[in-house]
Parts: sequence; C-alpha cells; structure tokens
Amino acid sequence: MEAMPTGEAATLGPGALETATAPTTAPVEVEEPTSDVAVVSQRPWVVLVWNDPINLMSYVTYVLQKVFGYNLAKAESLMWDVHTKGRAVVSSGKREESEIYVFRLHEHGLWATMQLDD
Amino acid sequence: MLRRARIRRVRGGTIRIDLPDHERELLQRVLPQLRELLTADESDERTRRLFPVAFPDDTEAEGEYQRYMHSELVTSRLSALDAVESTVTAKELTEEQAVAWMQSINSVRLVLGSLLDVSEELELDNLPADHPQIETYALYAYLSMLLGELVDALSR
Repeated sequence: MEAMPTGEAATLGPGALETATAPTTAPVEVEEPTSDVAVVSQRPWVVLVWNDPINLMSYVTYVLQKVFGYNLAKAESLMWDVHTKGRAVVSSGKREESEIYVFRLHEHGLWATMQLDD
Repeated sequence: MLRRARIRRVRGGTIRIDLPDHERELLQRVLPQLRELLTADESDERTRRLFPVAFPDDTEAEGEYQRYMHSELVTSRLSALDAVESTVTAKELTEEQAVAWMQSINSVRLVLGSLLDVSEELELDNLPADHPQIETYALYAYLSMLLGELVDALSR
C-alpha cells in the first residue's frame, strides 16, 4: 500500500491468498456445489478509510498506528492518501479480520468501509 | 521561552494533564450530553457520524454489521465516557485513560461537526461574532485543540 498505487497492491493480494488457501480449502469444497463462492472468497477484503472534514490529520495518523501497528511513516503516508485522494486502502485480508479492523476504526470515529477487492 | 505542553507524557508512560478547572468543568457539562445521545431510544441524525456504514454496496452485510456492531459501538463509547468522567479532575492519566479521553472528545466533535455540517473550508477565524451558532463553533474549536494536544502527547 503506502505511497504506491493501490492497484498494484491489489493485484499482489489475491494471488498470494489463493496459493495460501487453495490446498487446504479445495478438498472441503469438492462435495458442495459452491465453487462460485469459493472463487469469490479468495479475493481479499480491503478496508478503506475515507476523507472527512472533522477528523484531525494527527488523530487519523495516530489511530492508524494504534489499530494496525503501522509505524509513523506508513501511517502518515496513508493519512496523506486519505486526505489528498479522498480515500485509501488501509488493509487487505480475510473478511473476519477486516470486520474487526472496521469496527475498531469506527470506535475511534474514522469513516471506514470494507469491500471485496476488485 | 518555550511553553511546556499542557498535556504531556511523563515518566513511565503516564500522561500529565495541566488543565484549568473551567476547562474540566466544561467537559463535565458536555460529556453527559453525549451519554444522553448514545443512550436515546430513537436514532438521532446528530449521531450519524458515530455509526458509519461499513458495507456501502451490500445492504445485507450492512444490516448484519449494524445488528451486531451498533450496540458494541455504543458500549465501547459509554465505557470510554465512564473512564473520562471518573478522571476528569485527575492530574495524571494512564495511557488507556488518555485514549478514552481522546475517543470521547472526538465523539463529541463528530456530533458537533455533523450538527454544524463543517467542511474542509471551514475557517473559524472568519466567522462573524454574531453568527447564530457561534457558541457551538467555539466549543468545536476548543475540543479540536484539546484533542490535538492529547494526540501530540500520546504520539510521543
């Protein structure tokens, strides 16, 4: 993520996840006609933070460090992406963990959403 | 001479809070109003920014998220409020308590910001003194400053 175009990060994500999950999930999925769902679920979920006029820049940077454990440089770079581009992908991963991240960002009042990566 | 920060990290991660009584009294007056909004039965437009949409493109997932997480968010905010109200006169806070201050103060800012419909272009210095919402703007500006001080201290 950070300063690189999010599109690049997005194409790295799904490939990595596919190879990681395919061997373990494949045998389970065989008996059920859910191959479509299985394909969909291999796309990672991304968490987005949107620009808003209320949250302070220093606050957003602090929250990104606290919630994701990012260092200052990474958190600041994401904050600037949010501020200048209107939004930034702040994490990419499984649905459950993304939901927890979104909740924690909401707890701190950040405007966060999640969606399947496209 | 450099002025020492009113809110600063001291030994062992403790956060020192040097605020005058009238600022603490202001917090004591404002915070119960947030509690009232959070515990109100009916949803209130003013709390819109406290409960953001998680799944903008998926009504079903959004419904499920709100069903489970809305009350979790209320609980989390109320426990932060408890922590602030019980330490509002304290001179020193633990890191955890300082984070609760930060969360609660920002929650109030989100409510006020929605109420005032603030935009990126807002320039508080240019508001006329007789603006009908000048007191709300003043409170918003004060809480923004206080939050900035807390974030600075916690970031060190």
